[in-house]
Amino acid sequence: MPYRYILLESLRQLRNVRALAFTFVIPLVMLLIFGSLYGSSGQQEHRSGLPWLIVTTVQMASYGGMLAALSQAFAITTERSIGWNRQLRITPLSGVGYLVSKVAAALLVALCTIIVLCAVSIVVLGARMDALHWFTAILGIWIGVIPFALIAVALGQYARPSFAQPLFTVVFLGMAILGGLWIPLEVMPTWVISIAQTVPSYWLNKLGQIGADGAGNALLPIGILAAWTVTLAALITWRYRRDAARA
Amino acid sequence: MTAPAIRLTALSKHFGAVHAVVDVDLQIDRGEVVALLGPNGAGKSTTLDLALGLSHPSTGTAHLFGGDPRAAIVDGRVGAMLQGGALLPDLTVAQTVALVASVHRAPLPVDEALERAGIRDLAARRVSKLSGGQLQRARFAVAVVSDPELLILDEPTAAMDVESRRDFWLSMRQFTAEGRTVVFATHYLDEADFFADRIVILGAGRVVADGTPAEVKSVVSGRMIRFEVDSGETDAAAAGIPQLPGIRSLDRRTDRFTLVTDDSDLTLRALLAAVPTARDIEITAHTMDDAFLALTAEAPLPHFTKAPHLTKAPHLTKAV
Repeated sequence: MPYRYILLESLRQLRNVRALAFTFVIPLVMLLIFGSLYGSSGQQEHRSGLPWLIVTTVQMASYGGMLAALSQAFAITTERSIGWNRQLRITPLSGVGYLVSKVAAALLVALCTIIVLCAVSIVVLGARMDALHWFTAILGIWIGVIPFALIAVALGQYARPSFAQPLFTVVFLGMAILGGLWIPLEVMPTWVISIAQTVPSYWLNKLGQIGADGAGNALLPIGILAAWTVTLAALITWRYRRDAARA
Repeated sequence: MTAPAIRLTALSKHFGAVHAVVDVDLQIDRGEVVALLGPNGAGKSTTLDLALGLSHPSTGTAHLFGGDPRAAIVDGRVGAMLQGGALLPDLTVAQTVALVASVHRAPLPVDEALERAGIRDLAARRVSKLSGGQLQRARFAVAVVSDPELLILDEPTAAMDVESRRDFWLSMRQFTAEGRTVVFATHYLDEADFFADRIVILGAGRVVADGTPAEVKSVVSGRMIRFEVDSGETDAAAAGIPQLPGIRSLDRRTDRFTLVTDDSDLTLRALLAAVPTARDIEITAHTMDDAFLALTAEAPLPHFTKAPHLTKAPHLTKAV
């Protein structure tokens, strides 16, 4: 595995400040609005007993992490369209190495977003939780972001540059709403809740909430997210081989 | 004996009904510097893509150093500058070379790759700020960072002015002086003549000539004589012309004739005697484009000539 390449590639994506600002502003603004809306009164979520501010923070950190990972799709379509991938194909970098580098970059960018959003919640909104629970919440969200890193690679592979934007919008809006990252799912009709339990963003949020709570069964969300990850990885590898064979 | 750097055997590639490469057999030995010459659409880029294994042949095989092209790439034995391959605009030149170096097993130091491309002073420049010629040199630095034995360059000087083109080939001389193999595609004969020790001409996906620059130039050399004849006398003129001295080929479009000759003075004197009604006579140097047309015309046009054995120079394909 070309570790040095993966490191340089991830840092390169992290340096891309303009794209990061774009992915970062929306969840930040939403955190500030919803956080002060729900958080100021110190109410608690009735089932877990977690303060609403923490619940909102985890939602927005999940949303931010998901968005950051997904937006790697744009980097991939752009790089493909200018011919960088063609350049890479005359290097020893393998298909798997390429995919790992892209997933690693997406996860690094997502992790930074998640940490910054939680820090904003602590510093600006006064969210309070012990360090271990912050750690498990962030870890839970970060693990939950893995399928989205793969979705980003798949989007980048399938979409032409002109089509990437609408496709991206549909995917991330659907994921954000169905996963309950924007509005708590409780206010939705029951059929929406049933659909929600099939999308990875629901389980991403769930895993973050379990991490923050320090209680609950993490195996179910991890199992479902792992199933998503394996399926997407298989799809991407198949597509990559077919791409190479057809070229 | 070691395997040749490149071996293409009965190689063909078609995209639907378009036959981009047709039955190409080509062997390039280690240490050779070969120009692939041909007009746009002759199949140069497709041939190079096939040689590198970036494209799968419809039939035939491509080998590098006796094995699968991919294996040679993984071993870092091949560097390439391809058409449609681009660098990332947001990185500096040094970062770009370092990024590519990081996937190779035993890369050159970044500074040395820049040195070989003659762009050490551009190390900190962003790729998006490079001029066309500088960009090509940056791509050259990327191509040599694995210290390859074989370089494949597809129109490497396309975006360069005359001076940077010259500089580019001079720095390439340094690279080949160490016994390395270079194959480059171009549509400039002077470039091929200046740098290559063997020229392979492609036309319509086929190898139409293969020889030393001197051999190829002899096909390209010569003059063209164009003239018109009054419409009543064209048949008589067409009958007499193939007997004229020095003539290599004849093309007739109704009452306009074009001759290619090895000795325009001799031919013209004889022409004026044989076809006294010839008018609007024009003598021009035979250009590369004319040579391509002559070499690549698959079948003579119905009115092309009455002496078909004069129309081509197929002997060159066996000239190596």
